[in-house]
Amino acid sequence: MTSVADFLPQKETGRRMSDESFITLLVVGVAIGLFLLASAVLPNFFQFQNLVNLVTNNWAVISLGIGVSFLLVSGNFDLSVGGVVALSGVLSVYFAQAVGGANPLSSGLGMPYVLAIICAMGGALAIGALNALFVVRFKIPSIIVTLGTMMVARGVAQVITHGSQRNTNLPDSFGFLGNLTMFGTSIKLPVVLMVVLLLVAVFIEKKMVFGRVTYWIGSNPVAATLSGINRGWHVTKLYLFSAAIAGAVGILLASEFKSGFSNRGLLMEFDALVIALLGGVAIAGGFGSVIGMFFGAIILAVVTSAATGLVLSPDWQFILKAIAVFLAIMAQTWALALRNR
Amino acid sequence: MANMIENSQSSLGSSVAKFLREYYIYFVLVAVVVLLASANLDRFDLFERGNFLNERNIINILRISAPLLVICGAFTLLMVSGYIDLSVGSAMSLSAVVYAMLAINGVPFLPAFLITVCVGVLLGAINGFLVVRLKITPVIATLITLSLYKGVALLLVEDGVSAIKSSALAKMPKWFNDYGRDGTLLNLPAAFWMAVAVTVLLVIVQRRGVLGKYAAATGGNPTAAKLSGINTGRVVFLLYVLVGVTAALAGIARSSFMSLGDPLSGDGMELTTILVVLLGGTAFSGGEGKVLRSFCGALIIMSLTVGMLTIVPAYYQTLVLGAALLIAAASNHLVSRKGTS
Repeated sequence: MTSVADFLPQKETGRRMSDESFITLLVVGVAIGLFLLASAVLPNFFQFQNLVNLVTNNWAVISLGIGVSFLLVSGNFDLSVGGVVALSGVLSVYFAQAVGGANPLSSGLGMPYVLAIICAMGGALAIGALNALFVVRFKIPSIIVTLGTMMVARGVAQVITHGSQRNTNLPDSFGFLGNLTMFGTSIKLPVVLMVVLLLVAVFIEKKMVFGRVTYWIGSNPVAATLSGINRGWHVTKLYLFSAAIAGAVGILLASEFKSGFSNRGLLMEFDALVIALLGGVAIAGGFGSVIGMFFGAIILAVVTSAATGLVLSPDWQFILKAIAVFLAIMAQTWALALRNR
Repeated sequence: MANMIENSQSSLGSSVAKFLREYYIYFVLVAVVVLLASANLDRFDLFERGNFLNERNIINILRISAPLLVICGAFTLLMVSGYIDLSVGSAMSLSAVVYAMLAINGVPFLPAFLITVCVGVLLGAINGFLVVRLKITPVIATLITLSLYKGVALLLVEDGVSAIKSSALAKMPKWFNDYGRDGTLLNLPAAFWMAVAVTVLLVIVQRRGVLGKYAAATGGNPTAAKLSGINTGRVVFLLYVLVGVTAALAGIARSSFMSLGDPLSGDGMELTTILVVLLGGTAFSGGEGKVLRSFCGALIIMSLTVGMLTIVPAYYQTLVLGAALLIAAASNHLVSRKGTS
């Protein structure tokens, strides 16, 4: 899908846009088109606040999508993020709960909140390290490994919460981070964090060696190894990076709801994968961008919220998701084939 | 795989490895059963006190294993050919709902059964079409249909009701329940014997049939298979249809056992199926694997999950299954490396 030309400076390939920017533009165009279409059909859809909501309601999945996109670009899956969201949230609650509650689900380890967060992040990174160990060292297909670690992470969360949730006996500081509003507006800290992460990710992807090496590894692993890139270590860092984002998302969600719920983030790994695919990230690796992923998320958000606006039953969301991914994949393949004919 | 055959002729070490690879699953099954039989199972009244190996318990385990047992054989052949189907769980749910709808609306057993199997053929054919004709990556294609089939199953059940079941207005006919519950031969229900029949058929197909050989050739080396005149596209398409049919049979068995058509009953089935197939030593990359060993893998997992309920609370299940998936994948990798080195 990618050619050597993608890695050469733009001057040498003339003024032709790269395939990647082309697809990203296509995704942006589709997102805007769908928003306008939904605005034309639905009353009250075309509002600034609605546009903001489309982004802020999806901050968790978009944040997860960053790590997942980077890994997809390097040619690896990460389906463990949903499990990690549950695990880190539950761990942060468990560590922060005061010692000696009335029942098993209300007594934790009584750590100060900051320490609890650090330890919960440690748990998330452990899952990332486990992913890397199995994928890099044992060379087991990443989809199997991360499905397994997803179950392990969620399984640990279920054991700690006895399959339900922990929400009592928490210090007052626990709910602070997830509900903190910024700049005198109603925009919350997690949303700001998502924006910062997106900007950093775009910078890494486009301007830093680390980002370009990720593309190298994805498009031609053998050539990358032969040119002296430590592929295993790079993929390890990507898994840790993705697990760290998922860990932070889990901690913030737990803080927002003041509870550690073992089923939180259920199917989020699939949503993160879906928005990356909608945004033009190729599953074969070496192709895609975080900007595309962001607009992929907008597409999904517009489609699902428009469906709600059209008073379709919530059961429709699964079908709409399927159709959206199918059309996106077919359109991208078709557009690229047409362009490079 | 090919060099494994060459090596196995030479040294003693590799012939031991080959023996282990071929038969370890049967030892594991025996070990698990012996372990559970010797464990102290007095804690719950699930079994007749303290005895794993009594008739009622064995019959019970085999009854609830029927859906998994019927799917795993065809799924093995699909994975041997190097492909995967993540939509089996959703296909199973959709078939279960369709079967229950037919039954509750007065369609007799045989037509209802055949129509549901035809639905399975259709669902499998859609997967095959997406993968073979439209050349969408199997993981993505079946992820799309996972969402699609689940959405359709949820839509078929009317709002406000969780599943299709007997109500004041309409009663489930008696035969609906009998298929999955009522003892026929050896006190085991027809659903279990159906699973056995399908497995026997697939073992014969794999050992003697053209389809089995073509599947292994396609998974071992697709290019060589194509060059030697195998229509690999048709083989893969047929295997997807086969998996669709067995998913429908699994849906019938499950809905019959629970005597309702639950649109969520197949959730997670794809994970369990992948787990038992990997446990049976099937290589994820294709080319290697045996139907009978997956059957054994399914018996192991079902004995473990049921046996586990008597030792630890139910919320340990996800963790144990996830860990089992990782261990199965890792040991697969280690054994196959021993075989080739």
